[in-house]
Amino acid sequence: MKKNNTLLKNIFNVLFPVISALILGGIIIATIGENPFLTYSVMIKKSLFSLDGLLKTLHFAAPLILTGLAIAITFKANIFNMGVEGQAVLGAFFAGVVGFTVKGLPPVLHITLCVLTGIVVGMLFALIPALLKAYFNVNEMVVTLMLNYVVVEIVKFLSQGVFKDPASGYVSTYPIAESAMFKKIFGSNLTVFFFIALIVFGIMYIVFNKSKLGYEVKAIGKNPEFSEATGMNVSKKIIIIMLISGAISGLAGAGFLMSEKYRFTLDFSGSPGLGWDGMLIALLGSHNPVGILVAAVFYAALKTGSDYIGVFTNVPKDIVGVIQGILILLLSVKFFNEQFHLFEKVKLLWKKSSSTDFNK
Amino acid sequence: MSLLNNILYDMVYHSAPLILAVLGGLFAHKANVLNIGLEGMMLMGAFSSTLFVLITGNLWLGILISVLCTLILGLIFSFFGITMKSNFIITGFGINIFVAALSSFVLKYMAMANINVSSIVNTAGLKINIPIIKDIPILNSLLSGHTAITYLSIILIAVVTVIMYNTKFGVYVRVVGENEEAAKSVGINSAAIKYIAVLIGAALCGLAGANLAVERMALFTNNMTAGRGFIAIAAIYCGQAKPIKSAMYAILFGLAKSLAINLALFAGPVSGLFEIVPYLMIVIVLFAVSAIEKRRTNIRGFKLE
Repeated sequence: MKKNNTLLKNIFNVLFPVISALILGGIIIATIGENPFLTYSVMIKKSLFSLDGLLKTLHFAAPLILTGLAIAITFKANIFNMGVEGQAVLGAFFAGVVGFTVKGLPPVLHITLCVLTGIVVGMLFALIPALLKAYFNVNEMVVTLMLNYVVVEIVKFLSQGVFKDPASGYVSTYPIAESAMFKKIFGSNLTVFFFIALIVFGIMYIVFNKSKLGYEVKAIGKNPEFSEATGMNVSKKIIIIMLISGAISGLAGAGFLMSEKYRFTLDFSGSPGLGWDGMLIALLGSHNPVGILVAAVFYAALKTGSDYIGVFTNVPKDIVGVIQGILILLLSVKFFNEQFHLFEKVKLLWKKSSSTDFNK
Repeated sequence: MSLLNNILYDMVYHSAPLILAVLGGLFAHKANVLNIGLEGMMLMGAFSSTLFVLITGNLWLGILISVLCTLILGLIFSFFGITMKSNFIITGFGINIFVAALSSFVLKYMAMANINVSSIVNTAGLKINIPIIKDIPILNSLLSGHTAITYLSIILIAVVTVIMYNTKFGVYVRVVGENEEAAKSVGINSAAIKYIAVLIGAALCGLAGANLAVERMALFTNNMTAGRGFIAIAAIYCGQAKPIKSAMYAILFGLAKSLAINLALFAGPVSGLFEIVPYLMIVIVLFAVSAIEKRRTNIRGFKLE
């Protein structure tokens, strides 16, 4: 019964912010003189209630599942890897470079090579804040954030210079070779990348829930001093956690490039970017793999749907970013807990109303 | 000589918004509230000041309204963080993402790539030349020809030092930060102190944003604060939240930015890469400060804060 109650509380803690954020977003839409119901119905219909749209949503969910997992594993250990964005972008960039410089490989080998490049680059880049945090206790949040800006400038420099494709009208690198692309399955938007994301999800599910590492992550998150005192090498564990996070981020970026964009452009990661979306998804999913899967699909649906709202209404698609910001704000508070007794109040109301119904 | 002058002038130019954000962030930091939302508050200041200057057609009215806007943002942060006891870090990021999205949403809706108010604000006219100093070489680029908010930021370093160490409010802020239970037991309303600390930060970040956007360039572009809020947090952290020390770090980062810009002119093809210098420097400075700190307090185990 007690467990049931906490589960219900968790569900309420997620549902309440989602609904409130959608209502607040609706108010903003209404203030610019548009119809919020029409906007939302276009969004949902186009992204979930047509086969084509649903497959597209799942396709967009793939990198989001990965960045969500990448953030969740660090958040769970109470480490704030804000560099997921940078790691994903850098992973994507170098996967792209391998994608167009290496030629004449069979597709399976070429794709593997690109994906591995992305993973390795992501890991290497995560190693810097990891080492600084583990051995010198440097604030990892500021470091990863600053390194994000460094990444932006480096890839900007490289894609305007050495790797610039002169044939394209804007700043971008060469498109990757045919053999490095994830093929669309049966003409739909879905690619093998989605299934790779699902495999990683499966692995991470086991890591989170069944492995020793998953337990240690939780222990570090709860009390690092105690973990250290009981004989855990916390520094080493922090490095491992960051490396896993970097690897998944790099994979997310590489896969997104190879299944969707095919070339690196400056707006590759979009606004607010894959890493920030991942943060929202990790929060929505309460750092729990299954929750993250659901949240990633939900958020991918919002994003996919937002591409259409510009067609049917005058609402700019950036409204999704606004809703995202509000959502993160609201998700930072646990509304239904012992502190506010909101949950008990709602339950009491529910009981009262149902008992009066019964008496009738 | 003119290069040196340019470097010095740009150092002050780039330090001013950082100093303001650092001084603002200090209070919250001292009161044990980690305000990650400085970046978003600065962006809000930049965005709303240009927007309201455009709407009202009046520079100072626009800046006043923008400070009010950031105060509202500060209230939202305080309400979630202090009253509702949220996770500060996540709330702060929510603020940052919300402001970035809101500004690009409004820009898209108004069908503009950026907000340009150069027809209303004459940026050259806002520079204040100080009579005698403007004729002394080197000192003139350091002390003369800057804008009102820049001068204010430098004066505020002294003001904040006095407030923090010589007033009742400053003592309360520090007591709340060091031991909230003790503060409560002697009847200090710790929540109110925290609210005020965050709101001071918000107001100064609003000014910093206005300085960055309206006063300097009469222009707002998406994400124009480019991580300055986090640079400010790094400066506070390095300077152990002491006003003068932290402001010195802010100036150091201003110098890095200034050097990056001025030396890039001579770098030729790799000049684009100079942009990373300020960010890398923060990582290096943070590393140095933390390494020294760690050696000083050489104990087994560590805190994750």
